[in-house]
Amino acid sequence: MPLVPLPLPDPGSPDLGSPLGFLRWLQRSQRRGQLLATLWSVLELGCTAALPVAVGRGVQAVVDGDGSGLLTAGLLALLLSAGQTATTVLVHRQVVWNWIHAASQVRQLLSRQASTLGAALSRRIATGEIVAVSSGDVEKIGWYVELAARLYGAVLAWLGVSIAVLCWQPGLGLAVLLGVPVLAAAVWPLLGPFERRYTEQRALGGKASELAADTVAGLRVLRGIGGEELFLRRYRAASQRVRAAAVRTARTWSVMQAQEVLLPGLFVIGVTWYGAHLALNGSIGVGELISVYGATAFLAAPLRVIGEAAHAWSVARVSAGRVVSVLALTRDGAAADGPTAAADTDPAELVRRAERSDLHDPASGVTARAGRLTAVVCGDPDAAGELAARLGGRPALADGETPLPSARLGGAELDAVPLAAARAAVLVHDKEPMLLSGTLAELLDVPRSGRVEPAAALAAAHAGDALEALVDGSPECGGDPMAARITERGRSLSGGQRQRLALARSLVADPPVLVLDEPTSAVDAHTESRIAAGLRALREGRTTVVLATSPLLLDQADTVLLVHHGRVCAGGTHRELMATEPRYRAVVTRDETDLAAAGAGVPAPGGAQ
Amino acid sequence: MKPPRIKEQGPATTLPVGSAAAVRAYGRMLARRHRRGLAGVVALHGTATVAGLVGPAVLGSLVQTLSTGGGADGITAAVGWYLAALVVQSAFTGLSLLRGSVLGEQVLADLREDFLVRSVALPLGVLERAGTGDLVSRGTTDIDRLARSIRDAVPELVVAVVSVLLVLGALLVTSPLLAATAVLGLPLLVLTSRWYFRRAPQSYRNESAGYAAVNTALAETVDAGRTVEALRLGARRVELTDRKIHEWISWERYTLWLRTVWFPTVDATYALAVLGTLVLGGLFALHGWIGPGRLTTGVLYAQALVHPVSRILRWYDELQIGQTSLARLVGVHEVAEPETDAELRPDGRRVEAHRVSFGYREGADVLREITLDVEPGSRVALVGPSGAGKSTLGRLLAGIYAPGRGRVTLGGAQLSRMPAERVRTEVALVNQEHHVFVGTLRDNLRLARAEADDTELRAALAAVDAADWADALPDGLDTEVGSGGTVLTPAQAQQLALARLVLADPHTLVLDEATSLLDPRAARHLERSLSRVLAGRTVVAIAHRLHTAHDADVIAVVEQGRITEYGPHPELVASGGPYAALWRSWRDERPARRPDGTGGAGTAVGAGGAGGAVAPVGPGECGADG
Repeated sequence: MPLVPLPLPDPGSPDLGSPLGFLRWLQRSQRRGQLLATLWSVLELGCTAALPVAVGRGVQAVVDGDGSGLLTAGLLALLLSAGQTATTVLVHRQVVWNWIHAASQVRQLLSRQASTLGAALSRRIATGEIVAVSSGDVEKIGWYVELAARLYGAVLAWLGVSIAVLCWQPGLGLAVLLGVPVLAAAVWPLLGPFERRYTEQRALGGKASELAADTVAGLRVLRGIGGEELFLRRYRAASQRVRAAAVRTARTWSVMQAQEVLLPGLFVIGVTWYGAHLALNGSIGVGELISVYGATAFLAAPLRVIGEAAHAWSVARVSAGRVVSVLALTRDGAAADGPTAAADTDPAELVRRAERSDLHDPASGVTARAGRLTAVVCGDPDAAGELAARLGGRPALADGETPLPSARLGGAELDAVPLAAARAAVLVHDKEPMLLSGTLAELLDVPRSGRVEPAAALAAAHAGDALEALVDGSPECGGDPMAARITERGRSLSGGQRQRLALARSLVADPPVLVLDEPTSAVDAHTESRIAAGLRALREGRTTVVLATSPLLLDQADTVLLVHHGRVCAGGTHRELMATEPRYRAVVTRDETDLAAAGAGVPAPGGAQ
Repeated sequence: MKPPRIKEQGPATTLPVGSAAAVRAYGRMLARRHRRGLAGVVALHGTATVAGLVGPAVLGSLVQTLSTGGGADGITAAVGWYLAALVVQSAFTGLSLLRGSVLGEQVLADLREDFLVRSVALPLGVLERAGTGDLVSRGTTDIDRLARSIRDAVPELVVAVVSVLLVLGALLVTSPLLAATAVLGLPLLVLTSRWYFRRAPQSYRNESAGYAAVNTALAETVDAGRTVEALRLGARRVELTDRKIHEWISWERYTLWLRTVWFPTVDATYALAVLGTLVLGGLFALHGWIGPGRLTTGVLYAQALVHPVSRILRWYDELQIGQTSLARLVGVHEVAEPETDAELRPDGRRVEAHRVSFGYREGADVLREITLDVEPGSRVALVGPSGAGKSTLGRLLAGIYAPGRGRVTLGGAQLSRMPAERVRTEVALVNQEHHVFVGTLRDNLRLARAEADDTELRAALAAVDAADWADALPDGLDTEVGSGGTVLTPAQAQQLALARLVLADPHTLVLDEATSLLDPRAARHLERSLSRVLAGRTVVAIAHRLHTAHDADVIAVVEQGRITEYGPHPELVASGGPYAALWRSWRDERPARRPDGTGGAGTAVGAGGAGGAVAPVGPGECGADG
């Protein structure tokens, strides 16, 4: 039976009304898989339950001295075994596939959600949380979806066996019918304490693992300055706490396991005792006694499935709740694509217009003229970041934050145009652009105008030594930097190298308007002066805004604007402002004597978040 | 079906991995150390298994009694035995599990603590080169995998092997003939299992790497949310994640296929055992070689083999995974200790580099014939373009790397031959890598000087301009910082690193871009207050901001692995070389460059965009506040 091809071309739109609704939706979207798995599961359990009958008949034949009876019983056992072997693997294939179906579907939904929310997502949810959802919670939901069909199968098999026995020996049938639920419920009292202890153990284990990771990650600091003993002691203590917690969990677990041997065992003994008496007074044969024994022992299988499914269900409900809460997030706390006032704005048209329009931010009074290189000097780095975000339009706001008046590009209010159009017109290169892992060629493969070649952008950003470092770090690239791999977040590169690769990426995109926020803050002066010249040459005739305080960059700008307390308070060329504006000189040269002259203290570098 | 051709790239292994022999030796050592515990677990479980064998024997005897027309007394006695055995089996199952866990947890705690002890003793040069990524993944992922292996696989396997042996033994006692028929299918099982296990472990590793790769891609999309949105990469990220999901599923599909082939052969083996004992045993019984009671017991024992054999097959590859992880943990033991001379002591504080060359790879020197004499108590600035070798020179001067050729000495003694613990009391390096440890702010500072009291800690924070924000933290020095606690900004983390340095108080400091993450103006202020605290110490500062160079006693300009200019700031400026040119452009002390004079004060300000007029403002407004 062929399996549905995965991943799905489109994961569909889920029911986000409630966790249960979401789980139901997941199951509905794989109805065929669930049906098949249930069918195979019933057949598998049926064969397993019937096998003792064949064994019993065989023994009976031996007792009766009936050779052909033995062969018939052997044949029946062969058939049942073959059926069991075939259905076992069919069940396995189908439930695993159902698991993968659910897991990949949820992960596809998550990735679509992450891409849609973009800048807004990290403001609303921690990265760790979404990773936890995409691994741990996905697994738990998958576990439930996988078990659902087996649960149906187990219940059907239990009812089937009970009815069969009921018809044949009402007393035994009743015992089977009632015994299973009682035994299934007997696990419950211990399940709660076990879960709690296990959760505690997991939490402590996670903490110890985190400590180990943390200590090792900071090992260069420890080895360079000391403190190894302090951290070893701390880790030992954490490790011993894990050990103690794990032993506590094991205590409950061992009681549960002992109980799992004892209770079904008692049930089997009871049934065997009763059956033996029936056999003694001749109402059943010896062979049938063996069948009864076997069938009762078989009930442990559906019993386990029922217990496991109940457990999975309680866990999956919580996980589904988390998935729903992530999937229900929206960008602006409103509709997914914002105000509709100018929704008819054609992105292509806006981009065309952007090339010859001035960009203006009414809140600060900053105006960047079309085709020119404008520099903005802002004493407060955070205010600079906010200004940059505003210039791009549709900034990601924190909950409850009221937006300032929209930036205007030509006649258009950027906050009112569709997100895609705003981003296509203005590219805001923020203070900490992230390098995405992959080869350098993949890094530079961004939506672009096509006017700037990667080589030209890399040259303008003076990324030569970063390329060398990349080639050194990836022997498999064969000396070709474009094939060299950038590790996650570019960790193998220095801050300055990362910054220049990110700059090259924004230059390759070649947007009509480019807003750069401190693009070279981690670059040395030698290189910065070369980048400044390269940037100017490459962006010739394109609108560019640079928020910076380095004189080497400012000197390249056509116009420099000084923003103070959120408003433009002076403008001119770098040289003019240096000559006439003490406040400007103070910010730009960082000379404390100038700062004192301008009457400003040095701000402390950022408060705790 | 062929395995998918996509392979996930795990973290690059830069540290050694233990050989098979080393892992075996380690395993033997563990087994010896915990001999008694292990024997106890085996004994407990053995008792439980033997008690479990009573049930089928009782049923067999019942069948025998009933088929020969026995009475009710027989039933009661048999059921009584069964009941007693069940109680023993249940109790000993629980006990053996508990003892097994206690033992396993003990071994696990030893292993992970031992690993960390080894790790924190690694030479700094090794860490700088290898990075910490590989080590972190060993300390987390490999420890976790090994935990699964030791918590589950080892006890399950021990228990299952004991069970199989005992059940076979019981079968042999019941009837050697039946025992022979029960193992009929064994060759088939061995054959297909070999086929399976040759392919399975690597495929499962790839499968779980594929599963993790989907997460990595997703985490990156979330982390880089702003970048993804700004550069309009959303559709590409979705496509990438779908591709990663596809790759992961290809591995799932492949392992599913492996199981599709293997499972039926395993099940067939079990079926063969039961069928064989039933039909052949039945024939034996018909011939009168065994009684129906033994036949019954034999068939039930054959069935009882299924469960432990399945467990062996189920946990076997988990054990292999654990072995791989153990090899990675044991590998840390194999990092060579650098040859040091405990007797070597510096005489004085003069740091000298004499014709030093150094390269990370053979034939690619980063530094060439560098000679530098650092006067005790002076401040030296290393400037130059990225990639010129400044950081490498700093690491050599701090004794982290040994020079390829030439000598780096402190007070006449070679730094690279001194034990690391001595070097760091003399020289310390702070670089861009700022790590905030999980723990309180106090813990984070005290690692530099364990006995420091709060007054000293505060003084150190004040010396790096950090007193204000540190006092503003919710619990002051007791505030939990680092991952999971209060998040410090990169700038604050850098201040923390410098405060540690103040506490450690070595006489020579190498600062590699130690203030690069601070707002430039705050950086300069910090450097000045720091220099007051560090008065009299030797400071080698690698800086990309020219004001740092300006403040130093001597500047060395490093270009392409050589020192091209050397001298105090005024001298270099006067000499009119490349440094002077750069300085002038920084301070804008040169003639006008652009004659066209684009962009006067009035042109941009007040010109207004299409968005509306801006009130013209004059320079006067800027001075109005402050």
